[in-house]
Amino acid sequence: MSAGALRRPVYVSGIGESRPVPRDPRAIPEMVLEAVQAAYADARCAHTDIDAVVTASVDLLDGLTASNIAVTEVVDAVMKPETRISSEGLAAALHAAAQIASGAYDAVLVVAHAKTSMADYQGLTRWALDPIHVQPLGADFLACAGLQAAMLADGDPGAERRWAKVAAERRRAGNGTFLIPSSVEEILLSPVIAAPLREGMCAPLGDAACAVVLTAGSAAVRLTGVGWDLDSHALGERDLRRWDGLRRAFARACAVAGMDPRGMPIDLVEPSCFYPHEEEMFRAATAIGERAELSPDGGLFAGTAPVVAGLSRFAAAARGVRAGRAKRALAHGAWGPAGQGQAVAILQAGA
Amino acid sequence: MIRESAIRIPFRYAAGGAGSRFLAALRDERRILGARCDGCRRVFAPLRSFCSSCGASPLEEIALGPGGRVEAWTARADGTVFALVRLDGADTALLHRLVGLPGEPRRGMRVRARFAAERRASILDIAGFEPEEGASA
Ligand SMILES: [Zn+2]
Repeated sequence: MSAGALRRPVYVSGIGESRPVPRDPRAIPEMVLEAVQAAYADARCAHTDIDAVVTASVDLLDGLTASNIAVTEVVDAVMKPETRISSEGLAAALHAAAQIASGAYDAVLVVAHAKTSMADYQGLTRWALDPIHVQPLGADFLACAGLQAAMLADGDPGAERRWAKVAAERRRAGNGTFLIPSSVEEILLSPVIAAPLREGMCAPLGDAACAVVLTAGSAAVRLTGVGWDLDSHALGERDLRRWDGLRRAFARACAVAGMDPRGMPIDLVEPSCFYPHEEEMFRAATAIGERAELSPDGGLFAGTAPVVAGLSRFAAAARGVRAGRAKRALAHGAWGPAGQGQAVAILQAGA
Repeated sequence: MIRESAIRIPFRYAAGGAGSRFLAALRDERRILGARCDGCRRVFAPLRSFCSSCGASPLEEIALGPGGRVEAWTARADGTVFALVRLDGADTALLHRLVGLPGEPRRGMRVRARFAAERRASILDIAGFEPEEGASA
């Protein structure tokens, strides 16, 4: 595997978010507009400064084919080169970074949005699985997560309580707007939704948007490492106990950043973990120890939205670097059944 | 204001060459077909037309199971139990349902495919995997 450094520096100039809520009464463009305007204000730029746009959205979630047409105007993509990524927002950020690193553009707006309140999210994920061999069974992403958790919990009687503790700890650190159990005992009493996973262990899903402005021009936070990977779609073809795709994505990001992954010079980690067992797989795949601060604002456990999750972790990591809390931070995104897709970004303090 | 709607569009998914052969064998022969890559010495379940490791195509077709072991299972609130079943002779696991369970399943448990009485060339021609006789659940 070889990966060279980015050919041109890429900076994070602006961040804007529409906070995750269980149900945002606004239309998608209004929710997205809030995030975009906040990102422009943060970057002290206007839409005329933006050369290109990369959006992340999923048609199934939006109930709209070519779901980017709903936001073309609010992301200022009219008469601009727009690319739409139908996966994680972090993957969109990495594509935008490639556009800047290649010299194609100097300023790219990245936008991710999802409103899970519009429909039955888990029901929709059934249509993201193999239509011949899996879809008729009625399995969804939650079932896939349950199977992965079951693999990890096997022969580990302490797993359930340990996972409840992870969810409780993260949730206490966050200040979400979701009404969800936040003590270990409450979580252990919450209903089993995909054994061994209980409802209280999972990141609650709602509506959110996130926007990021990436530029070639210098800013306080620099994007130095990018890497992504896609594992087999079929769960039965993978070693489900491990996120091998993340291990490869992380190795690529480290290589691009010119970093020795065993040196572990990362002091803030923002993983996209929707379930507590994923946090354990994240630690195993990246070998990130206890020394690094992990999800200080609760990560996804305080509430999130699919598609937006990874880009919101990118925003959180950038804020940590900008505030001086970290010299180097890692943001992670995951998508597909049981973390089939994996993306990693490494951010560093400026210039 | 909210506009209520629903998307109701019937789809026709082509199963492909290997997929069609797999479904036809379920329906007509009550057999579960897999594929062996000689180069990788790997047996895939279900049947597929090319090796996902090395790209070799076509692959040798072989019958798997109908017995196997539960690699992982998860139960939903409605009682549905999904499982990854490693069929005898296969190196990869098949995602399906467990049925006829006398109690909570366990990893490593022996199971066997129960075929549906009426079969329509669908993955549901296997009604589910049930505990093998004598297997303790
Ligand atoms: Zn092969």
